[in-house]
Amino acid sequence: MQILRKTELKAYKKAKKIGQKGVIEILSKKGLVGRGGAAFPTARKWQFAIDTKSDTKYVICNADEGEPGTFKDHLVLEKVPENVIEGIIIAAETIAAKQAYIYLRGEYEYLKPKIQKAISSVLKRSGSKVKIDIVVGAGAYVCGDETAIIKSIEGYRGQAYLKPPFPPVEGLWGKPTVINNVGTLANVPQAILFDDWDPHLRLFSLSGDVTKPGIYEFPMGVSLKKLIELGKPKNPVKAVYFGCFGGCMPYKEILLTPENVCGQNCVIGAGTIIVVDNTHSIVDMAETIAKFYAFESCGKCTPCREGSKRCLDLIAKIQSGKATKQDCDTLLDLALHIHETSLCGLGQTATNHLITALKYFREEFEQKCKLH
Amino acid sequence: MISLKINNIDVKGKEGDMILDVAKRYGIDIPHFCKNDRLERIGACRICVVEAKGQQKLIASCCTPIREGMEINTHSRRVMEARRTNMELLLANHDLNCVTCKKNLSCKLQRYAEEMMIDEITFSGDKRLYEVDHSSISIRRDNNKCILCGQCTRICNDIQTVNAIGIQNRGFHNKIAPPFGMNMHESACVNCGQCVIACPTGALTEKSDIQGVIDALRSDKFLIAQTAPSIRATLGECFGMPPGTPVTGKMVTALREAGFDKVFDTDLAADICIIEEATEFIKRFKENKDLPLITTCCPAWIKFGEQFFFEELHHMSSCRSPQAIMASLIKTYYAEKIGKKPEDIVLVDIMPCTAKKFEIKRPEFTGEADFVLTTVELGKLFKLLNVDFINLEESDFDNPLGESTGAAAIFGHTGGVMEAALRTAADWLTGEDLKEIDYKKIRSMDTLKEAELTIGGKQIKACVVHTLGEARRLLEQIRQGTCPYHFIEIMACYGGCIGGGGQPLPTDKERLIKRTKALIDEDEHKDIRKSHHNKSAIKLYKEYLGDFGGKKAHKLLHTEYYKRDYV
Ligand code: SF4
Ligand code: SF4
Ligand code: SF4
Ligand code: SF4
Repeated sequence: MQILRKTELKAYKKAKKIGQKGVIEILSKKGLVGRGGAAFPTARKWQFAIDTKSDTKYVICNADEGEPGTFKDHLVLEKVPENVIEGIIIAAETIAAKQAYIYLRGEYEYLKPKIQKAISSVLKRSGSKVKIDIVVGAGAYVCGDETAIIKSIEGYRGQAYLKPPFPPVEGLWGKPTVINNVGTLANVPQAILFDDWDPHLRLFSLSGDVTKPGIYEFPMGVSLKKLIELGKPKNPVKAVYFGCFGGCMPYKEILLTPENVCGQNCVIGAGTIIVVDNTHSIVDMAETIAKFYAFESCGKCTPCREGSKRCLDLIAKIQSGKATKQDCDTLLDLALHIHETSLCGLGQTATNHLITALKYFREEFEQKCKLH
Repeated sequence: MISLKINNIDVKGKEGDMILDVAKRYGIDIPHFCKNDRLERIGACRICVVEAKGQQKLIASCCTPIREGMEINTHSRRVMEARRTNMELLLANHDLNCVTCKKNLSCKLQRYAEEMMIDEITFSGDKRLYEVDHSSISIRRDNNKCILCGQCTRICNDIQTVNAIGIQNRGFHNKIAPPFGMNMHESACVNCGQCVIACPTGALTEKSDIQGVIDALRSDKFLIAQTAPSIRATLGECFGMPPGTPVTGKMVTALREAGFDKVFDTDLAADICIIEEATEFIKRFKENKDLPLITTCCPAWIKFGEQFFFEELHHMSSCRSPQAIMASLIKTYYAEKIGKKPEDIVLVDIMPCTAKKFEIKRPEFTGEADFVLTTVELGKLFKLLNVDFINLEESDFDNPLGESTGAAAIFGHTGGVMEAALRTAADWLTGEDLKEIDYKKIRSMDTLKEAELTIGGKQIKACVVHTLGEARRLLEQIRQGTCPYHFIEIMACYGGCIGGGGQPLPTDKERLIKRTKALIDEDEHKDIRKSHHNKSAIKLYKEYLGDFGGKKAHKLLHTEYYKRDYV
């Protein structure tokens, strides 16, 4: 796997040599984009922070991978933590930040000693003066949102707040802050160092009804079929979920690019593929994801706080056999409403699975309804 | 200037203006719950969503800045449906017992539901159920009526810096509460009621004492009312009169009609308070000891100081608040005068304030005032007793505790106490009857204001703050020894008592300015505008209290403060 190639601080040395401008140029030429899902060009994000005048700036490494079925940050942190730390110090020195934080998902706390060791070793060997602290999150999925991470590090409730101003302009404690996720930062030294570094390679987390779940590295545009066959499903595959919040589609061959997936009303996001075979009910899937969502909503805005609960209520009603087709319409309307009016990315995406499930698998819902 | 279209009307605004505010300037009201002009915008209620052409999702108009060429629709079908759904989501989780709710007919949630014609709620299922928190003396907290707009917590944390309440839990289980499962009484709450006047629903309301007052009115006790300086400038609003209409005479008549035997004016006690405080100030100023001196009319500020700045309490004036001065005089001097036992007199204080309910329950004031009714409660009492307020004749306060000066009138707004105190202190320090008595600089709505005067080559630096966050900044300076002032007025409520937690809703800046003007007008139209010229007050000292700041005055007009632990 490309992502696991060690850079051994050579990229850091090169970065020192070519300087701020050189680093931005190289990252922009090589086409490194964020691995968190939004695919925003990393060089541009950094440039915003460079252009904002301030004595104090911060870098945050988002290691708050909290979505079920997603575990590739974990792989990277486990196998090549030094690369991530090297990426952090390159980022910090490029934007002139003296302090960096690693916001670690609560459930990954056991990785802390390992990361701590990597920090000490990298700082010692590189001579970099950047201070890196690990902050362990309290296990709320919404903290994957950049602004919620900032609030959480500041010691407040991990709730999203309004953008703009965007973090590179006004972030942690009001200072310019670059937030990149683990995958992005691990790619930074590689992009700088290796001429053959391929910007198109992505990690896909494959799970669900497969006998060989795991993390696979492929370029964007890989065949969905090829990927799923690697997982060796036991039964005929019925549907594919792009993580909990990326939506679902009936299983068929497509090439996995953001555009193609979008064409199926889904979002490829962080490359999480959950396979569902014909032994499982889509309504059960809907219920499981809706429960996760209701649990993770931070509760700040009305549609997400109240709506997540009412989705759950409606699904429970459908499951109980007491619902009518009208209830399926209400559920879809509510799912669309939450998507349209929620405050942060969590609420805006949390009902994608329902919107697509009711589009592609409506008969499974209706079969459970009373006849009329 | 940025040009855009709202509902097809060409409008203009400045860079950084939010859509909702620009729309309002053009007469388009966009409904909203969580927006409050004094607070950070959080865009949480999502009731203010609007449609912007070319944008896929709806946007929150309270916190989306205008951009050149935008085309906004505030009431398209899509917008109205989304707004309605959000309303229904709130209502599906609401204790909809409007008829028995204290906010019935003055509740924003109810009003919007009516305006949006919500006659059915699509969603059903569990509701969050909470016990009503009756523990506080001042505030009733009913989370079953809460729509989680977060105004109360932002007021309490960001403006007042008390941090008594916060948002807890996540998702559907969000709730507003004091920390660690405490109730309001155990919390750090200073009872200012600023959260109450911000709350759009019946979740936070004043603790009602109306029933107790009715029982007293129907008993054979001797009933006395005293009315605080600000009430006359706000009570009219309870009866639909324009903000800033002075209703002093009607208020006195109405109280008599309601069954009070005597109606006294807290303004007289305000004049006495100034006499005592100015005496105290001059003594400290001459000795250059324990400066700055801080006024202590506001019980919310006193509790705040006792909790957070105990080591600085020697800066607080030992003088009681006007309410407590009047209560003390009524139960001693006046009771003796009319030959009644104090316990046969029931004293009802009409106050702007939820914190006064707490103040009269302080142990050191036991047996003095019996009840506090807020302005809003008094309005309700009059309605209950069928008092036709609007059409009443005017009448005067009773004597001997009814005469007051212009200096007392202005106690009700921020800066007024300081202005009154400076009038008296300046006269006494110069030994003259000064003509320049208007301290206009400290009348504004700025939360920190300064005044300076030079007497005999010596400079006096005075400062006025309102809101407790502003007070906290000043107290930190005092703690660090960097505070440049000699004399400080602190009021907990924004605008002073005219913005108190018991005043009619809505209390916004525009109304505060009109209420202030009513008090300043009253001052300017009085023949006597200095507290130490109040003839009744002077007579009282001669007859009963002795010297200004003397032994008896101290016993009856002063008090003490205690360290309070808080969480
Ligand atoms: S808070 Fe408003 S809507 Fe709720 S019960 Fe009271 S009056 Fe009715
Ligand atoms: S009354 Fe004042 S101190 Fe108490 S909770 Fe409300 S705002 Fe906070
Ligand atoms: S108590 Fe009132 S002000 Fe506070 S969040 Fe609830 S509804 Fe809003
Ligand atoms: S400023 Fe006035 S109304 Fe507000 S708490 Fe203090 S005394 Fe009460």
